[in-house]
Amino acid sequence: MKTLLKANPNKIRESKFDRAFSVVNIILLVFMVILVGVPVLNYFSLAFNHYAYNNKVSIIPAKFSFRAMGYVLGGEYDGFWRAFLNSVIITFVVTFVSNFVEALAAYPLSKSDCPCKSGIMMYFIITMLFSAGIVPIYLLMRTFNLLNNIWSIILISISNVMNLLFFKTFFEGLPNDIEEAAVLDGASSLQLFVFVIIPMSLPVFGSCCFFSIVGCWNGIGSALIFIDSQTVSQQPLAYFLYIKLSEGNSAAMYDDFLRDWGKNIEAASMFVSIIPILFIYPYVVRYIKGGLTIGSVKG
Amino acid sequence: MENRNIEERHTENDGRLLSARVATKASANMYSPPGFFKLQIKRLKKHRLILWFIIPAALFTLIFSYIPMMGVLFAFKDTKFDYAMRAGADILGALQYSAWTLETIKAIFNSDFLSALWNSVFINLIKLVIVFPLSILIAVQLSELKNQTSAKLVLIIICIPNFLSWTTVVATWNGFLDPSFGFLGKMLKDLTKGESLTYYEWSFKPLFVFLNAWKGAGWGCIMYYAAITAIDKTYYESATIEGANKFQKTLYLTIPSIAPTIALMLVMNISGFLGVGLDQVKLMLDKASYYDSQKTLDLYIYEMSIGNGAGVSYVQAAALGVFNGLTGLILMLVGNKITTKTLHKSLW
Repeated sequence: MKTLLKANPNKIRESKFDRAFSVVNIILLVFMVILVGVPVLNYFSLAFNHYAYNNKVSIIPAKFSFRAMGYVLGGEYDGFWRAFLNSVIITFVVTFVSNFVEALAAYPLSKSDCPCKSGIMMYFIITMLFSAGIVPIYLLMRTFNLLNNIWSIILISISNVMNLLFFKTFFEGLPNDIEEAAVLDGASSLQLFVFVIIPMSLPVFGSCCFFSIVGCWNGIGSALIFIDSQTVSQQPLAYFLYIKLSEGNSAAMYDDFLRDWGKNIEAASMFVSIIPILFIYPYVVRYIKGGLTIGSVKG
Repeated sequence: MENRNIEERHTENDGRLLSARVATKASANMYSPPGFFKLQIKRLKKHRLILWFIIPAALFTLIFSYIPMMGVLFAFKDTKFDYAMRAGADILGALQYSAWTLETIKAIFNSDFLSALWNSVFINLIKLVIVFPLSILIAVQLSELKNQTSAKLVLIIICIPNFLSWTTVVATWNGFLDPSFGFLGKMLKDLTKGESLTYYEWSFKPLFVFLNAWKGAGWGCIMYYAAITAIDKTYYESATIEGANKFQKTLYLTIPSIAPTIALMLVMNISGFLGVGLDQVKLMLDKASYYDSQKTLDLYIYEMSIGNGAGVSYVQAAALGVFNGLTGLILMLVGNKITTKTLHKSLW
């Protein structure tokens, strides 16, 4: 069949309409790529630009300068690295604890003869369907004395039913025999999970961890609720940058350097904040190239 | 220790024998299956070693999802609850101190609320009409490319904004639209009278929806793209032989084939119909004051619930939260019912 097609590649000639369709299609896609690329390049060129040439910036810096990046990277930017560290802590703890806890719960639930299975599943799924809003959570954290503390963000992010469902779907497809063999060899239940189930489930762990990392690193929703704008030492990075963005240049009024370089420093700090995402972006690339199956809803 | 292990293994084996015996028994006399509780206890015995795995996740869910759900009660309290909370009382004390009433729920339906509700619904309607089909359009476009490697390359690029934080996205577009150094801002300088586009009242909603599309459309199309690539290619070949052009193939072949996926995403979309994303609103309205037409329901509730200012009312914000949650729940259940009935596809 394939050789036949190769011999007559134009067996069915494309109509004029189809060719026009393809051309319009390609033009639109190129336009979209430009629409995504140009603003990003335009803004981040500021990070590497000399402030006096800011109005000449196109998609590359007009006059290269490392001053703004040096200001951020060198620790002169008050609170930046503290916020960076906070984000790292939040991301690290939530990714490990949340995924471990949810996968642990998903394992017994993946057994077809788990007692009260549908009841337990309902218990988890209801929390996805209904929430009482931000006031009760805010007051709960106030009661726990966790307001203005990164632990409030960590604790609220750990429960993640979506990941539980992903894990459950994946575990249901695992062969039963290996588990039985491990049990016969004398593995305890936790050993079975850590040394047998987790190594077999690395793809689903990968994608769930990936989404946890992105969500924690970029999210400012819970920080908006729990952390106020004055408590700099407890702000995650995205929230810290948001505060800086909305405060504008109040500090710059008394400081010539900040007034001149303000925009460049802002761009530089944004650039540093996306570096961790750039590091894990190859995972997205592999995910897209590898056929887009992991994490999609199976039905 | 050794003994205990052996004992455990024995009971484990016994349990398995037991369940095997139950299975044969059940198949032997089909008309008397074991009772519900008996069956659950048998299963409990079989899985007793791994059942405790559920406990940590269940505890987190209990503390951070179910206990806050009790906050529904705040919606039925009078304003004394607010005074008590602001004076630093704990929740139980404030609950005892204040009286039960329905006035709070009646009081939330005022003109401020209705305008905020309308803003949210309006933005979500535009999003539904423009952003939602845009993802499908991109997926169809990508699948139409002859060279699927370049399709994936395009996909990799247009997915980038989804992995930037809203802070970065808004900062990027503030920069891009800046009249003094932004690429687009400089071009539009005369049109916008020297100000940035973000400055005006009328530009808020279009820009809001646009940024939403810019950030999410690329990543949103991945589901559809995966569904399209799963369609059998022979359908397309036979359609070509029948003389269908690409537009017809898209309309009568691709779209119906991915209709279940579309319906699923639609249900997920409309269940969050009252929320527009608090972080995006807060970021785009970072100035000290803004117009009523820019205030969405998220922001309205947020300003009513956080802090200690005069506008803060925990009971009213709780009532609004309940309204929000219930509406989302009803929309989701109705949507799910419809997709189950028509497409035989359920969310869970």
